[in-house]
Amino acid sequence: MIAAFPWDIPLSFGRPEWLWLLLLAPATALGSWRALAGLGPVRRAAALAVRSLVIVATALTLADVNRVLRNDDLTVLFLMDRSLSVREHADRQQQFMEDVTRDIPADDRTGVIDFAREAFLEQLPMKGGYFLERGRLPELPNVERTNVAAAIRLAMAMFPHDSAKRIVLMSDGNDNMGDVLSEARRAKADGVSIDVAPLWFARRNEVYFEKLSAPTYAERGELVAIRGNLHATSHASGRLDVYHNGAKVALRDEYTRMALRPGNNAFVMKLPVETDGVQRFETRFVPDDPNMDAIVDNNQASSFSFVSGRGKVAVMSMDPAIDGALVDALRRENVQATLVDVTHEIPDPAGMIDYACIVLANVPANVFTEEQQRTLAAYVEDMGGGLIMTGGDDGFGAGGWIGTPLEAVLPVELEIKHKRIIPRGALVLIMHSCEFERGNAWGVHIAKKAVDTISSRDFIGVLAYAMGGESWEVPIQLATNKSAVKNAIDRMGIGDMPDFDTTMSLALKGLTATDASQKHIIMVSDGDPSPPSKSVMDGLIAQQITVSTIGVGFGSHVVEPPLRDIASRTGGRYYPVRNPRTLPQIFVKESKVVRRPLIVEETFVPTVNYAFSDLLTGIDPSEALPQLDGMVLTTPKDAAQLALVRATTDGNDPLLAHWQRGLGRVVAFTSGYWPKWGTAWVRWSKYSKFWAQVLRWTMRQDAPANLDTYTVIEGNTGRVIIEAMDKDADYVNFLDLRATVLHPGRGGVPMQFVQTGPGRYEGTFEIDQTGQYVATVNVFQSGAYQGSLHTGASVPYSPELKELSTNDVLLEQVAEMTGGRVLDVDATQSSVVFDHDLPPTESRRPAWEWALTWLLLPAFLLDVACRRLASWVALSLFVEVLILAVLLFGMDVIHTHWWGVLGVILLAELVGWTIRFRSIQPCLEWLTHTAAVLSRTGDRSAAALAQLRTVKDRVREERESASVTGGGASGAESTRRPTAATVDPRRRYDTGDTGDRPPEIGLDEALGGATESAIEAPKRPTSATDAGVGESEATTSRLLRAKRRARGDTQSGTGPAPPSDDDPS
Amino acid sequence: MGRLRVTVETLAGLMIFIGACSPAAPQPANVMNVIGEAGRGPGAFAYPRGIASAADGTFYVVDKSARVQRFAADGTFLVEWKMPDYAGGKPVGLSVHGDGRVFVADTHYHRVVVYEADGAELARFGAEGDGDGQFRLPTDVAFDAAGFVYVAEYGGNDRITQWSPELTFDRVVVAGEVGGEPMQRPAAIVIDDEQTLWVADACNHRILRFSLDGRLLHSFGTLGRDAGQMRYPYGLDIDAEGRLVVCEYGNCRVQWFDRTGRSLGMWGGAGREVGQLNSPWGVFCRANGVVYVLDSLNMRVQVFRR
Repeated sequence: MIAAFPWDIPLSFGRPEWLWLLLLAPATALGSWRALAGLGPVRRAAALAVRSLVIVATALTLADVNRVLRNDDLTVLFLMDRSLSVREHADRQQQFMEDVTRDIPADDRTGVIDFAREAFLEQLPMKGGYFLERGRLPELPNVERTNVAAAIRLAMAMFPHDSAKRIVLMSDGNDNMGDVLSEARRAKADGVSIDVAPLWFARRNEVYFEKLSAPTYAERGELVAIRGNLHATSHASGRLDVYHNGAKVALRDEYTRMALRPGNNAFVMKLPVETDGVQRFETRFVPDDPNMDAIVDNNQASSFSFVSGRGKVAVMSMDPAIDGALVDALRRENVQATLVDVTHEIPDPAGMIDYACIVLANVPANVFTEEQQRTLAAYVEDMGGGLIMTGGDDGFGAGGWIGTPLEAVLPVELEIKHKRIIPRGALVLIMHSCEFERGNAWGVHIAKKAVDTISSRDFIGVLAYAMGGESWEVPIQLATNKSAVKNAIDRMGIGDMPDFDTTMSLALKGLTATDASQKHIIMVSDGDPSPPSKSVMDGLIAQQITVSTIGVGFGSHVVEPPLRDIASRTGGRYYPVRNPRTLPQIFVKESKVVRRPLIVEETFVPTVNYAFSDLLTGIDPSEALPQLDGMVLTTPKDAAQLALVRATTDGNDPLLAHWQRGLGRVVAFTSGYWPKWGTAWVRWSKYSKFWAQVLRWTMRQDAPANLDTYTVIEGNTGRVIIEAMDKDADYVNFLDLRATVLHPGRGGVPMQFVQTGPGRYEGTFEIDQTGQYVATVNVFQSGAYQGSLHTGASVPYSPELKELSTNDVLLEQVAEMTGGRVLDVDATQSSVVFDHDLPPTESRRPAWEWALTWLLLPAFLLDVACRRLASWVALSLFVEVLILAVLLFGMDVIHTHWWGVLGVILLAELVGWTIRFRSIQPCLEWLTHTAAVLSRTGDRSAAALAQLRTVKDRVREERESASVTGGGASGAESTRRPTAATVDPRRRYDTGDTGDRPPEIGLDEALGGATESAIEAPKRPTSATDAGVGESEATTSRLLRAKRRARGDTQSGTGPAPPSDDDPS
Repeated sequence: MGRLRVTVETLAGLMIFIGACSPAAPQPANVMNVIGEAGRGPGAFAYPRGIASAADGTFYVVDKSARVQRFAADGTFLVEWKMPDYAGGKPVGLSVHGDGRVFVADTHYHRVVVYEADGAELARFGAEGDGDGQFRLPTDVAFDAAGFVYVAEYGGNDRITQWSPELTFDRVVVAGEVGGEPMQRPAAIVIDDEQTLWVADACNHRILRFSLDGRLLHSFGTLGRDAGQMRYPYGLDIDAEGRLVVCEYGNCRVQWFDRTGRSLGMWGGAGREVGQLNSPWGVFCRANGVVYVLDSLNMRVQVFRR
């Protein structure tokens, strides 16, 4: 429970119920009033006030007092739409931000978030306006969608808590992901106002493809009908180009000429299909008048059909000259093999589906993107495709496949698990990636990628410059625990490195200390650190440590000469990188350099390990297989069948292993690299038969399910509909459909089917980027596999390109919902954007600790001091020090201006001297009085002598008269004696003030001794003896004492101690 | 006696209370001012890398937003201007001539740009290259009593060149090996009253002293964290008493040396608190013993008295 203090006092309480304690303050004051009577009125009042303060401070502390800070500073976060539909408006938005932030209040903060499918923070909320340079905004990863909700969400997380919050949303409002309105509601609840600046545009003349569809399945030789739908905003004419499997179809003009009316224009076209496999159809509309069509990217559409036939095989190769022999051998055995040069093209998902088997012939991992690697794995596990990997210097572990999605699919482990000693590799990463946007995040990502690629038997170390100098962010170590290494990489700080020498010499030292046979350094930098010294370079060369350098700048300057020089002198490579997205692949490629120890280049004769393997049918186990001259070391997986091995004294190394993985079959042949390692194999009479046999075992066994299927795209959702009827035209119910969609960015994604009617099943998948979505559905009935079917759809362009105008309705709704305004992005409205019209923010800071330290504790000490410190001087000093401490440190005046400090000192002195004045005053009075006494002493002595003389005379007279009359005492004499009422109490030092001092009062008894009473009410004699002799004796002794005192004064010069009113004793 | 005892005891209690209650992170007594914060606005810094003092008490800072900002001695922002080109990289050093002209080592454009105190451009000199009249990544500028201008550069071309008062190339003052080691990133240069040239040879972690004709007079400094050692000296100045003030990028501190290289004391340490430094790039001192240090990665200037 939080209770704010009323009357606008900036305090609030966490547990206000404790404030009832405050009632104790008056009660205590009343109760103590009498008990403290001995202190005198001033001290008593002060003591009670201080005691009340103790109670107040205790109550505040227990009530969890908070300071409420009100702040009317403003933070404005600009959300900048960078999706495809407004890509030409980036400058307009930047101009707007520059204009409105030009003359803003000094304490107001500005931040910038840009967004398309995802949102990114480009400028932290900071004072001083907008500072991003034109043309320097980093490229966003996916601009094919607009996700305003994500941008608002990020903005909410980025606002500082102590200022008013405003979002300025610059967008065309064509949101196609997320839920803007619910995010706006959340913003409203958090007190955030969203102003909108619509990016106005309207495309009057536009033609775009609404859709193009082709039947999922077709038969060879039939005419396939493709149906299209073109949308036009106005009358337009043009030509329709049709492509089939990439080649333009020659059609007569009467079929291709199109006159479009406003609205949808449907067409049908029938094309003959002559080949097996995937048939791709693509259509492009070319307007006669380019002015009739603002965006050309949306004039195309594509679709595909599957034609079943004999299985095709793709042999993927880096060098057709090396792997051509295998392809030829397969063709001789009537296998429909195609050589795919992966340096030029990688098949898309539908293209992969087209192949019943894919052979990766000595292909390294870095050729494929992560998405493609995931697709390959899904191709095997979910689509039932066959995969064969053959070795070479770029195969298996040596090809950087460790840690990839494909490693799980292969029948062999790429790491060497058994105990034999094989040479290790050692890799050191030198990271200086701080010089470009999000450079450090990239640095972490690519370093982790390198860790994934190396074997756990290799050494890894990461060096960077952090605050205070170069250091091993990951000390060089065996990569046994890769997750620990990656955690360390996550924590690393990458600073601005002054020179390469220090990090490189650390790397040299670290690598030299390892027993690795292959030592490699990857260094990423903008090249501006000082080059390494000659001794370090010589050391690297002598140790045969290779250094590959990666120049990163992305817009800013890269100092290339030193980077090139380091690489060329050590035998490494230099990569000038233009796009950070290529960094991971470069890192994988470079990391596999240290995997060379996995390659064994020695001649051996393969040994049959499992003669009953399907792959060895027809090969006599007693027959000697041709020799091989090299292989890549791997470890067999438990479930795999090990058909051929290389037998050594240390154990068997897998040569030919195979297994079933998911729906697909996979073969690993760890040799290969035919011209170098397998010349004898290529000459072997059974070479082609062997490989044809391996391929036939591996190929997908298509069992097409006899089901009607089609796929439609509805916004961000793809829907696959299957209608199942048996041969008697009865609906087939309760089928078990297990489906996977190959997503263009994410690989295989499972898809759920539900039966929506008799014999009708539907499944959906998410569409969030352009590309092909290919679904494979495996049909099971009563637990038995019935066959598979493939279907899919193409998303040829982003929905952003279909937008014809600004969705101002949505934007206005957002503004209205959050109390924002609609701004004109082309007008300067700085005064509006940075108007301080939002309620000030309140933030609460706990103050109980302060109250405890600076209120309760001082008040408590003061309370004790008021009662216990008898001396006013000591009390004044105490109070002075307390005031100084509380104000200077507790209130932090010491950190303000000098005059603040001076003011505090003056205040403390003022209070101190006010208290001291009570003891100073009597001192002054005593001094003046002493002087007066001294001056009067002579007169009084004379008067006393006269009086003595008078007494003497009177005594003589009385004696004489007694002798004459024998008379008694005279009552008149007593009236001349001074009475208590007429004596000034302060004149007790006077000769008239005899030993009738106030009673001695012990310190303990009086709790500080009522000094007031000591000086104000000395007890006076209220009666005197009437004895004349006694009186004369008293007078005499008083005279004598006064004389002694006067003498003492004049002799010592100091006088007797002044009457101490601060000492009750 | 009892009175005295009570007084003493209470005052002692009070002293303990004050001692216990002193602020948790006391601001070092000798820090006089902290100027700037992270940002791109006036008076804010985005990774500042060059600082220089003018004779009139003002000072200039250049940061990675390619802005040169001028401040009054108390840190009040006065004026700012942007470098003519900055897409390829930002300057790392600047110096102010006795007549008020500001010389900015436009590092990544391999030139020096000269400005009036208010930011009006006066001249540029130098071009990319290793030859005469060319630079490769210039870092700092210094001036001698005769009006000659000295420029330090690195990037494989680590040398000091001399330019005439008319800003034409004169000669190479220092290049190649110095004391058995080639200079590696001379990050700061300064000329003292005796007309000798001091060079912070950053990547060799040493300070060099030359006569203006290029003769090595003295050299000191080794890599390390102890007193007398240094790590990447990036900033250099000479105070009124003739002591060297060295700003160490690597050790995140300021160290004083006498002219023989004897360490006289240190200030700072790696961190983000006031009184600590994070990768400082520059330093200068004022006649009254006040030192301004460019606390680069903390995006501020700290002013302290030794």
